[in-house]
Amino acid sequence: MSGFQFQFCSVSKVYGGHSALSEVSFTVTAGMHMAILGPSGCGKSTALRLLAGLEAPSQGQVLLDGKAISGANCVLVPPFLRGIAMVFQDLALWPNLTAMGNVLLGLAGAKLTRREARARAEEALTLCGIASLAHRRPGQLSGGEQQRVALARALAARPRLLVLDEPFSSLDIATKARLLDAMRSLAAQRDLTLVLVSHDPQEAAAICQTAVVLEHGRVQESGSLAELIRDPHSQTLKTFRDYCRPHGRGPTAR
Amino acid sequence: MISCWWLERPGGWRALGVGAVLTLAALPAVPLFLEVVLAGGRLSLGSAFGTALGSSFLVAIVTGLLAFGLGLPAGVLSALYEFPGRALLLPLAVLPALVPSFLWAIGWASLSARIGPAVTDFISGQAGCVLVFLAGAVPLVLIASYVATIGLGGSQIDAARLAGGDRAVLRYASGAAAVPAVLAAALSAILTLSDPGPGQILGVRTAASEVLTSFSALYDFPLAGRQCAVLGMLVLLLAAPLAWLAAPRLSVQLMARQTGSPRRPGLRRAGIGITAGFAFLAAGTVLMPGLGLVLPLLRGNDFVQALGVVRRTGADTLLYAGGAGAVATGLGLLLALFAGRDNRLRTLCLGTCLAILALPPALGSLGIVHLAARAPAWADPLLRSRATVCFVLGLRFLPVAAVLAMRAWQSMPISWVQAAELHGVPLARYVTKVVIPFLRPTAAAALALVALLATADVGTVLLLHPPGKTSFSLAIFTVMANAPESLVASLCLAYLAWAGGLLALARAWARRPAR
Repeated sequence: MSGFQFQFCSVSKVYGGHSALSEVSFTVTAGMHMAILGPSGCGKSTALRLLAGLEAPSQGQVLLDGKAISGANCVLVPPFLRGIAMVFQDLALWPNLTAMGNVLLGLAGAKLTRREARARAEEALTLCGIASLAHRRPGQLSGGEQQRVALARALAARPRLLVLDEPFSSLDIATKARLLDAMRSLAAQRDLTLVLVSHDPQEAAAICQTAVVLEHGRVQESGSLAELIRDPHSQTLKTFRDYCRPHGRGPTAR
Repeated sequence: MISCWWLERPGGWRALGVGAVLTLAALPAVPLFLEVVLAGGRLSLGSAFGTALGSSFLVAIVTGLLAFGLGLPAGVLSALYEFPGRALLLPLAVLPALVPSFLWAIGWASLSARIGPAVTDFISGQAGCVLVFLAGAVPLVLIASYVATIGLGGSQIDAARLAGGDRAVLRYASGAAAVPAVLAAALSAILTLSDPGPGQILGVRTAASEVLTSFSALYDFPLAGRQCAVLGMLVLLLAAPLAWLAAPRLSVQLMARQTGSPRRPGLRRAGIGITAGFAFLAAGTVLMPGLGLVLPLLRGNDFVQALGVVRRTGADTLLYAGGAGAVATGLGLLLALFAGRDNRLRTLCLGTCLAILALPPALGSLGIVHLAARAPAWADPLLRSRATVCFVLGLRFLPVAAVLAMRAWQSMPISWVQAAELHGVPLARYVTKVVIPFLRPTAAAALALVALLATADVGTVLLLHPPGKTSFSLAIFTVMANAPESLVASLCLAYLAWAGGLLALARAWARRPAR
């Protein structure tokens, strides 16, 4: 896989007078799975949408290999040309299409022949372990199976960066553990870099090596996830550390 | 390649689109309004119009109050509880909303003629009008209350039940449904101002029946136009604050929410009471006037002749109904697309739609007649054809389709477009593969509902139909004064069978297992 680097350079995003992100800078490097952590409403999903090019920053730039792909209030490189795929928080599966239909429509921008597209979709569904469910619609699948369809749709596009927007938040712990395992091995097989948005550092630690912690739209700390958890400075990670201490002490016990 | 994001992109084009569709919807009424405004105080409205207007308002106020009093508890109780006979009584209570009011008036008039003077005073005149209008007004309030109660969600209802039992549930649900019920009652009261049928049959001079007399008996279209415009202005004065109050609330309620439906526990002793209440309601709105329609048939029926009328008018009725449905649904979907997720535009659409719905239906038709009288001959296909009837009926019922379309549009999560955008799906492919299939059931429901409402309309078809191209309901309305009672009753029952059949079909469709 060729190396790449996405950079957030002092990116801010304002919605109708409310600042969602403020002067945020971080780098996503090929091969280093990164987590964006923080409490609800801190701007994690906004950062992802800016990275994917679904929205333009109000200020600052997003760079790919040193070249601007988004500037202030403009998207210079459209989302489908960035080599990014995304698993949305609500999965965004198109309900009237089957699992196969979802993956095939996801390949509509890839300029493939029908046969090539079908082969690639089948490969992605097999990779995610749901080839036998290809003819089912999302409404006929369990939560975990739906996650796999969303993942297959994302993988079929052969992205260099796979962005996961809290896709495991509504799953039970066993399904979550299985899917995290699957993610890890798929990323290794496909030489894929992951960016995971989560409010759960434990979930992030299962996959990611680095992390950015956002609070109130600002970067509180960033670096190696293991080190950040060991010596946290942000409220998010301090709370997490307290919660994980033995002897049943909860997050408020200090 | 046009990006899918175009569907969600904000910008001035949305306001322009909304403005264009709403202007189109209001356009037929403009010529009459302009004439009245330009005439200023030099308007002649006929000697009896003022008195008729007073009578109309009295009937409207009483109808609104009674509809609120009956519809709110009926809606809340039917949303919260199972009771014996619910599956039959609820559709029976809703049926009159889909049937022209003059049918019930004919039924009541026939019944009172048979029972005799003991009830004639009660069933005729203003009291009779209120009774007939209640048949249409109660279902509106019932539906509004039902939807508001269902919208609370199962967990909220369960929380109220845990806090204070069924009494707390009823208090909480009634409080939540009260505002929609008041608005529905007010809307239904305003709608009675524009309905000429009951007044015409039960011998009350209402404003709407005066308008009808002016154009159908006196052939004085300018007078009818002026009367209609004045009535429209008064209605607008009443409807505007109502629309202003209701639109923001409706706009928020159109947003898709994930709530579980309330669990409906069965009731034993109280359930019998509720059943009795619903049976009383159904008797007052459907069964008694229905009996009035059946009684003339005991001496012999005219079903063969009625079938002839159905055969003669069926094709045009279907054309008008289908055409109106198509126009309303198409424009409703356009309105939903233009309004998008912009709350202000959605509120504007809903407010204007409510105001348009409240306007007298004859206003738009008389406006077209007014235009046609001044237009050159080459404009006849535009202003004097069956297509004109479809178009004006479609504009009249646009609000119904628009509300359904906007609700469906709001149910599409923004992440669907984002996912398509991220994968480079072309707009045309996204629309054909995702948007259209998703909106298809709503479009079908809107088309069917508007078609049914358009079938019940008499005023628009009466004013605009080309010679010989009448509709079934207009055929009943035209012959009711002169034809044998048994023929009128046969025609009315044929209409009721058609509306009931459609309601049953809709019910079966709604209950079909999800694919």
